[in-house]
Amino acid sequence: MSSAEGHEPFIETRGLTREYRVGPSIVRALGEVSLNVRRGEFLAVLGVSGSGKSTLLHLLGGLDTPTAGSVLIAGRDLATFTSYERTVYRRTVVGFVFQSYYLVPSLTAEENVALALTFQGTFGREGRRRADEAIRRVGLERRARHRPSQLSGGEQQRVALARAIVHTPPLLLADEPTGNLDRATAQEVISLVQQIHRDLGTTVVMVTHDLEMASRVADRVVHLRDGHLVEEGAVLA
Amino acid sequence: MRMWRIVLLALGGLRRTPLRVGLTALGVAIGSSALVSMVAFALGIQQQTETPFRTLGLINVIRVMPKGDKDSAHGPVLDDAALERMAALPGVEAAYPDFRIRGIKISRGGKSASVLAIGLPRDVPLPGTAEEVLVAGDYFTPGTRPEAILGRQAAHDLGFDAPTDAIGSTVKLETSGLSPGDAKTFTFERRDIAVTVVGVYDLPNLMAGRMSGAVLLPVDLMRQIPGIRSEPALERLMLGRDPTKAGYSEATVRVRRHTDVAPVDRAVQAMGFRTRTLLSRLEEMRTFFVFMDVLLAAIGAVALVVAGLGIINTLLISVLERYQEIGICKAIGASDGDLFVLFLTEAGAIGLIGGLCGLALGRGVCWVLETAINAYARTHGITAHLDVFAFPLWLLTATMLFSVAISVLAGVYPALRAARTDPIKALRRE
Repeated sequence: MSSAEGHEPFIETRGLTREYRVGPSIVRALGEVSLNVRRGEFLAVLGVSGSGKSTLLHLLGGLDTPTAGSVLIAGRDLATFTSYERTVYRRTVVGFVFQSYYLVPSLTAEENVALALTFQGTFGREGRRRADEAIRRVGLERRARHRPSQLSGGEQQRVALARAIVHTPPLLLADEPTGNLDRATAQEVISLVQQIHRDLGTTVVMVTHDLEMASRVADRVVHLRDGHLVEEGAVLA
Repeated sequence: MRMWRIVLLALGGLRRTPLRVGLTALGVAIGSSALVSMVAFALGIQQQTETPFRTLGLINVIRVMPKGDKDSAHGPVLDDAALERMAALPGVEAAYPDFRIRGIKISRGGKSASVLAIGLPRDVPLPGTAEEVLVAGDYFTPGTRPEAILGRQAAHDLGFDAPTDAIGSTVKLETSGLSPGDAKTFTFERRDIAVTVVGVYDLPNLMAGRMSGAVLLPVDLMRQIPGIRSEPALERLMLGRDPTKAGYSEATVRVRRHTDVAPVDRAVQAMGFRTRTLLSRLEEMRTFFVFMDVLLAAIGAVALVVAGLGIINTLLISVLERYQEIGICKAIGASDGDLFVLFLTEAGAIGLIGGLCGLALGRGVCWVLETAINAYARTHGITAHLDVFAFPLWLLTATMLFSVAISVLAGVYPALRAARTDPIKALRRE
């Protein structure tokens, strides 16, 4: 990423609002969030559970559609994407990491990574090469043939990370990637995210409730409370 | 290529729940085996009924009779001149008087049998597959040599243990009857005719018992048998007409192809004769068989449709079980179409596996039934093997296609459910 690009907002949200209907009442998960993320930036979104962090990530990743407001990706409004364009967006621009890893239990680590490539249309020798490369990047080449049930939590999350970056997406969305891990393992995973951010120039938006960790790794930390952005400020690295 | 990869992914997915997939495929297998064996039964029975007629070329035969026995005065006489005119019609292979004598005595050494003698033209070979009925020897030779083709039973009765033993031997025909002399006289005549056996025939399947006791003689030889012309001559005499001008009471017109039957039939009727064709009877029979095919196919299809419901059920459970996985796939870039294809492929594969097993199962069941039926038939004296079921290639192909089609159709709704899954809801469910 060149420094000239670095000043343009890669992701821009304007008055982003998401409401859910729960029985007769309407719950507002996210209220009028306006946020800019520069290309190549590492942004941490801090908040307790239920603060709307995941909703924000789902909206950024094109998995969910806002009730009001908009998400602009490199100037293009996600709302104007057709369903298929949104799929292609998820397939090429976004890499997702979830708190619960979300690996397909019946597939090996390698197959889980390759699965993402299959949907993107890369398979065969090239698919294997890229899956191997991603697995090597997260340091799991010895566990490539294991199924998720045979891997520890940290290892599973590393597989998930490999799957998220196997197609070298410009945007990595991480939803509490260390939420289920002990401190040491969490540190390993977060270091990998940092490394990917640095080596590949990937823009990272990470949701967490760990202020200490967020401050340590992110370029910038924003706080979400009850679906609202309460404060935004640069953190000293 | 990408879709092919997703198809492979789906096939790999089938291995995850082998028991469930197996049971569902078994449902399809039972359905398709029911379908295939029911239709095979209908086709087998039809074949069993039609084959003898085809083998003997009876399909291509028109029986010709003078109009009304009592009124023969009004219609033309069925004589050699009329037969020559029929033989000249396009498509006609042969036209010859239909001579049949019941209870003719045939003997050799001390053994004898009373048989039905049937006249066949010497100069026209047997129609196509009828060659197969000759189990030994050949058809009549050209010329005028007195020859005979014995039925297997007749040959046996005359003491020939094997059909080939009879070939070339001489047997005696003991004949007698009234021969028309001049205007109003008939003379009783006895004549023994020595004939050379040139062939032995046997009839397939169901017709075997009844007909294999006959003897086939050339038409020219039949003409010499006393009494052969007496019946129509006596009839004419009773009507006060010239008995020497009597024609034949029945004749056979053989055509080359079964498509010639209808036009020749019309032409012969236009000459003023009555006709009867087996083809028209066979057509009526076929209508019945089509009805039977449809009925049995419908019963089989019901079984397959029930199996289709099983597929819907299995796949719906699978969609629910893999709800989260579907969400993951969507999050990592699977399109709605990918998931639709994924589940539809699973359905199609279950149909394919089930269909193949069904064909094997169907054939197996039919084999067991056929063996049992034949064993039963043997206890009732039917020695020929009965092919109760027929499995033409088209039936196997159609059953396969049908079971895959039903399965894919059953997969549409579950596949749509999978395709329309909201990834957020799916991912949120832990």
